[in-house]
Amino acid sequence: MAFNVLIVDDSSSMRAIVRKIIKASGFNIGELLEAADGKEALKALTDEWVDLVLTDINMPNMNGLELISEMKKDEVLKSIPVVMVTTEGSEKRIQESMELGASGYIKKPFLPEDIKRTLNAIMGEDEDGQRDHDEGDEGSDF
Amino acid sequence: MDRETMMKAMREATSNVLETMFFQPVQISDANCSLQDWFSEKRSLVGATLSFNGPSAGSFYLLLPAAMVTGITANFLGIDEEKINEEQKKDTIKEALNMIGGHIFSLFDTKGAFKLGIPEFIEETDLTEDKLGDLKGDTTLIETGENRLAVGIQVMCVESWRNGK
Repeated sequence: MAFNVLIVDDSSSMRAIVRKIIKASGFNIGELLEAADGKEALKALTDEWVDLVLTDINMPNMNGLELISEMKKDEVLKSIPVVMVTTEGSEKRIQESMELGASGYIKKPFLPEDIKRTLNAIMGEDEDGQRDHDEGDEGSDF
Repeated sequence: MDRETMMKAMREATSNVLETMFFQPVQISDANCSLQDWFSEKRSLVGATLSFNGPSAGSFYLLLPAAMVTGITANFLGIDEEKINEEQKKDTIKEALNMIGGHIFSLFDTKGAFKLGIPEFIEETDLTEDKLGDLKGDTTLIETGENRLAVGIQVMCVESWRNGK
């Protein structure tokens, strides 16, 4: 099964890096969608099925915490795992994110392994306990 | 906000971000000089600014030679320098400061009392020698191989900042 991932960050450079890491991760990735803020993300989530959301917190229009709050109010979207990828690394902000329902928290600056580890934790095994992660991927730039 | 704690966090955060995300060999300078003197050999500068508020309000800034931007953008994005466009350069500089600012607070602000704004790019025309003199506050001076950078903080409540209240 291919996973669709939505990357939410107001920095196009950061979205490009996360996209590259995910593509090189060896996971069976389907669509890699992008949004520049929470509002764009909600629209993308209504247009396409997404298996995982990676979101920044500090963004204009709608921030990452507001995005996860909106998703948890929705019967369909509330089951989608959301991982925060953010510079905001205080204990309070991490706790706040987890209380809102975040599945993980990655602090910037991060290493590619941090993203891969999170992907592995959330998508590493399918319903039969089979890993979708191809450890032998040789196309990795990271 | 204690000044010494902040400056220590600034040095650590700047090193971590530049080394981890931009693959730059970072040497923090102990030079005690003005920004004009620090950048005396590289007049053409660009940068970014990032406001914050909380117990104290102010802003961070990042300054670097314009000639360096293409290289670090290419390092950051992992693509060839010839493929880098202006928007990518600006976005990369803003994101660099965003990561530095966020990392600084994460090193001591466990309660999340400080909130960051949205980073803004500073054009070369706004960083002439005269305008560099307008940048006040405390600065960390950095050398990365052949290049010189600066990360600074301007705090609006200057007295409490100096006294570490």
